[in-house]
Parts: sequence; structure tokens; C-alpha cells
Amino acid sequence: MNAVAPSGGPTDARKVRDAWVVCGLLAAATLVNLLLDRYVSVTSQAMIYVLAVVVASYTLGWLPSLFSAVAAVTLFNFFFIPPRYTFQVEAQENLFALFAMLAVALVISHLGTALRRETEAARMNERRARQLQELATDLAAATLPAEVHLLAQRHLGRAFPGPCVVALLDAHGNLQLQPEQESSYRDGMLACIREAATLGPGTGRWPGLHAWYLPLRAETHTGGAACVQNVSAYDHSGREHAQAICAQAGQALWRLKLSAGMHEAQEQSQWHRAQSTFLAAISHDFRTPLAAIMGAASSLQTQRDRLPPPQQERLLATILSESRHLATLTENTLQLGRLDHAGDLRMDWESVEEIVGSVLARVRQRDVAHRIQSRVPAALPLIKADPVLLAQLLENLLDNALKYSAELIELEVALKDHRIELAVHDRGDGIPAGEVLAIFEPYRRGDRSGQRGAGLGLAVCRAIARAHGGELSVHARPGGGSTFMLELPVDVAQPATESA
Amino acid sequence: MTLRVLVVEDDQAIRSMLQSTLAVEGFEVQTAVSVSEARALLRHAPPDVVLLDLGLPDGDGSELVRDARQQTGIAVLVVTARHQESEKVKLLDAGADDYLTKPFSVGELLARIRVALRHRGTALSPAVTVYESDGLHVDLAARRVEARGLPVHLTPTEFELLARLVRSAGKVVTHRQLLADVWGPEFVDHTHYLRLYMGQLRAKIEQKPDEPRYLLTETGVGYRIAAA
Repeated sequence: MNAVAPSGGPTDARKVRDAWVVCGLLAAATLVNLLLDRYVSVTSQAMIYVLAVVVASYTLGWLPSLFSAVAAVTLFNFFFIPPRYTFQVEAQENLFALFAMLAVALVISHLGTALRRETEAARMNERRARQLQELATDLAAATLPAEVHLLAQRHLGRAFPGPCVVALLDAHGNLQLQPEQESSYRDGMLACIREAATLGPGTGRWPGLHAWYLPLRAETHTGGAACVQNVSAYDHSGREHAQAICAQAGQALWRLKLSAGMHEAQEQSQWHRAQSTFLAAISHDFRTPLAAIMGAASSLQTQRDRLPPPQQERLLATILSESRHLATLTENTLQLGRLDHAGDLRMDWESVEEIVGSVLARVRQRDVAHRIQSRVPAALPLIKADPVLLAQLLENLLDNALKYSAELIELEVALKDHRIELAVHDRGDGIPAGEVLAIFEPYRRGDRSGQRGAGLGLAVCRAIARAHGGELSVHARPGGGSTFMLELPVDVAQPATESA
Repeated sequence: MTLRVLVVEDDQAIRSMLQSTLAVEGFEVQTAVSVSEARALLRHAPPDVVLLDLGLPDGDGSELVRDARQQTGIAVLVVTARHQESEKVKLLDAGADDYLTKPFSVGELLARIRVALRHRGTALSPAVTVYESDGLHVDLAARRVEARGLPVHLTPTEFELLARLVRSAGKVVTHRQLLADVWGPEFVDHTHYLRLYMGQLRAKIEQKPDEPRYLLTETGVGYRIAAA
């Protein structure tokens, strides 16, 4: 912890320690002088005391230094200056030596203290710079205002001993404070946000407080406020550090706000673009069969008597088949919209054989030549599925195959590991390699063999497959044509088969 | 005697199309645009068949089904758009006889009306006990099943399931109705029983179980044995 002790007197423990250091030094000096008494002059003995005082002054504060100087002079006087073992001072010279020693002690103590303070300040600045750097790195990785909140709170707490509180402004400009913090912090925080400046001791604003109130601010945006308790008006660098932390947090909040806004705008415009593409494509796909129906119906209405019966039959058949096409289109459009808001799938245990059967029953009406051949193995496991959606998927695939190929179509079901594979093999023209991805996009149909596709068909199919935790893919077949492969997961835990 | 059909449909175009189509077939057609109007008509001049559109402006139609149930001999056909599974299953469970999914062809509509009329009043007439259709022979009284001339051995549950469908031949029977009648009311949510037993039944009866001729699936609703 880089906790910085608040300004104020040294603790009692330190006072005791300082006293012991002073006593020790002076006792040692006195002992050395007594031992050397016979061999050296009084001047040298004075130097020994000076040495002790210098050491004491350098390492201790000014009060212990002063005390050590006075004590040193007193001891020197008592033990070594004649008349010895009295406090009398005889010669003027000795008196002068005393004052000189006092002065030396004070000067050294002053220099030592200043030096120590500078070293300490340098170390503190370095620690703070490192902390700011660390904070900047952490904030760069933050993606949520809550993370910024946490980081600001943690770093202020590390840098200052007093309780530190950080509160963010929510979307409506309300300060988000814990209920128990409400009364004590709200006013100060709101004031510093309003004034866009730090309040509290040393700032010239609200100097009577014992806490700094700092806005989390960048440019013109204020994202919240912080409060650092128990601070001193003279701690300029501390206040600057707190301001730097808050400014960084403010920057981070502003960045998050900007990027959120940008993301939203981007999504909005993407959605609009998709929407208009979708609508344009849909109206095209709907208009074509509608035009065919209207043409056939109006022709029947106005020219019926003049049309030969086979011609009339053909027109009626057109109306029916185009209406059917419109119905499929509507179905797919609705379904795609619904699958976008997943969640209303009606999953139940379903049998693939059964779904295949119901789809074949419907598709056979369009498959008079019986071109679809199915192979479904017996006793397949049940799957969790929405049967209506799966049936729609399969119907789309088979309809496509009927449309795009004139030959045999195989529907093959197989059980592989923990999934069921449904493959629809056709002998159509195949899909150009470059279009394999595009055919699954809504309305990116390759204009194959002049046929109209269901536009949305394959996009819906893939969406349905994925809503079931499965996948739909297409592969070229050796010998021409394509295979559409639907893979569906099989739950390992099948429902209990024992009935009562 | 002319059979009377009540068409409950709020869309004018579809209503008049149904009216003219059914009139051509010899039915006497009444129309109503709302559930309340239909209920009033039901009381005054009970029809033989009600064609009830789902999604009418003034209610979901289940009360109408209940009213019709109280008067014996009224068949109710529900007309729905696809994806209204839950509503149509609700009405079928409430006693509607069958359903049609829009868009439907006139042929389909007439076939459904015929089946519904055949079953009308089954509560009064002796129950169907013999089913004979294109190679499948089921005699409920003798508990005998033959497919393409060969006897088929069924387990008791399989037989019960088949019997339940045969008694409503041609009509859809919902999952719930089947489960309640064959397994018991506490099993109405165990649709997987149906999947498994229908699979077994098809394997024994159908020539090609993945493309059944007799035991038809009504996706998301229930099962139907093909009309005899």
C-alpha cells in the first residue's frame, strides 16, 4: 500500500524510538570521549559530540536534533570542560563552542529533514505516477461504467487513507449513491458536478470542509463524482493526484458513452438498411406471383367466352399454383420474423420419421411424377423439436429440389453419433462455389435456371436449423447436383419409454 | 332434407366465396361475422355444420364450440391460419370436430365437411367398430387387424391407440385426447408415448412407415386415420 500518512505529529512509538536513538548516540559519544580522555584534546572530544549530533540531526526530526544538540553541549560541559563534573562554564571560548554546536545541530537537522522530505516526495510522486499509469491501463480495458466505478474507488482508496466514495450519474442524470451514503455525500457531489471543479480544503471553494469533492469529468461530460475524506489544505500534490485519478475515470466514462452511442447509431443504420433491402426484396417476390394471378384472373373474367377450354384450364392452374407460391412466401416471411425473436419455439419430443411423413404427404401434391424417394431407417431416436418449423424446413428443401432439378430427388435420413442427418440430394445444376454462402442469406438468391426461388426459403431453413441447435449446409455432389444436409442434435437422455 | 351450414368469418371476400361454393354443393348457407352473431343464430336456427374462423374480432370461439357441443348433432370445423396451433388445439380439445388450414382448396373443405357430418351424432348411433380402407382391415369387436390380407399382431396399447383413431376415422384426434383416452388423463403431457407407439404401429401396419397411407400425422396437432 502506498498509503500516505496524513500531516500531523509523529506517533508516540516514533517519539520513544527517537528518544532512544538520541540517548544511545550521546551515551556512545560520551563513552568514547571518556575512553580517549587521556590521549586527545578537548577540541577532538567536542568533534566526537558534533559527530553524534550530526548523525542524530540527519536521521531524526528537528525537535530531537535540537534536543540532542542541547544534551550534547550539556554533557560536554559536564564531563570535559573544566571545572569538570560541574555545569559551570569558565572560559568564553567554551561558551562559544556550545553555541556553535547548537547552530551546527540546527543547520544539519534542517538540511537532513529537507533532504528526507524531498526524497520522500520524489518516492511518493513516483508511486503516484505509477498508479496513474496502472489506472490508465485498467481503464482502457473497462467496458462498463460499473468497472470504471470500481477502478476509481479502488485507486482512490489506495492513494488516500480517508474513506473514499465514488458515485456515477445514471442515464437520467441522477447520482447513484448507496442509501446510507445519500445524506452525507449527495450535496457535495452535486455541487462539484454543478461547478465542474474540485471543492474542499485548499481549493478556495468550500474550504471549511474536511473532504475534497471531485467531479469525474472529461471535456464537457461529467460522469459522476468522488469524495476523499480527511484531507489537508496543504496537500497540494495529493489533491492533484486525486484530481488526476478522477479526470482519468471521467475520460473513461466519456469514452464508454461515446462508443455506446456510436454502437447504437451503427446498429440503427444497419437495421434500417437491412429492413429496406428486405422490404424491397419482399415486395418484388410478392409482386411477381400477384401479377401472374391478376393476369390470369382478369383474362378469364373478360375473355372467358372466347378462350378454348384447355386455355381456360391453364389459366386456372396458374392462379392456383401462383397462389400456393404466395402462401409459401408469406409463411417463410412470417417465420423469419418470428425466428428473429426466438423463444416461442414449441419444443417437444418428435419423431423424424413422422415429420418426414407429414411433409411428403404435402409435397406429393406437387410431385405428381413421384420423383422424391425417401429412405428413413427404423427406430430412430426422438428429438426435441418444433415439428411445424422442422416440417417447414424440409418442405422448403424438397420444393427447391423439385424446382431446380428435373430428375430423381433422394431424401435420406441417417443416425450418426449423437445427431440425425437429413440429406436432400438433387441432380440440378448445382450451386456455383461463390454462391454457396449467399444462398443462405435472405434475398440473395442466385438466379438459377430462370426459376423463381422462395427468396427467403433457405435463410428460413438455416434459421430453423440453428434454432434447433443444428446446422444446414450445402455440398456439391459428385456427378452433378447438390446435397442439402440438415444436422440435428439428438439428446442423449431420451424420454422414458415405459408406459403405465 | 337440405343440410344447413353456418359460416362464421369476418372477411367479406372469403365469406362470400364460401357461401357461393357451399350453395352450389346444395347446402343451405347462413353467415355470421362475429362470435356473438353466430351464437344468436345457433340458438334460433341450429345448423348441421359450423365453419368457425379463428381470430374473430369478438372472441376466441371456444364458447361457441361449447354452445354447439350442448346441442347434439352440430359439427364444428375450425378454420385457421398456420401457426395458430395452440388455439386450434384448444378448440379441438374443447370439442370441435376438425380443422382446416388456410389457404385450403374447395375439395379439402367439402371432404372435411363430409367426414364431420358422418361422425355427427356418433353419441347416439352405435359406435364404429369396423374399419376397412384400401388393404387395412380393423375389426374392433373381434380385436382383429389385417394389413394387405395378413394378420397383424398388436400389443394391447397399440390396439387401444389404433381403436381410438378408428372410432374417429377421418377426423383429427388431438395428442391430448389420444393420451387421455388410451393412457389416462394423467398422461396428457407425455407426447413421446404417442411418437413411440405410433412409430411401432406404423412399422406393423404401413408398407412404408415414413410415408404412411393410413396413420396420418397432423403436425403439431394430433393424428388422423385416413377416411375409410
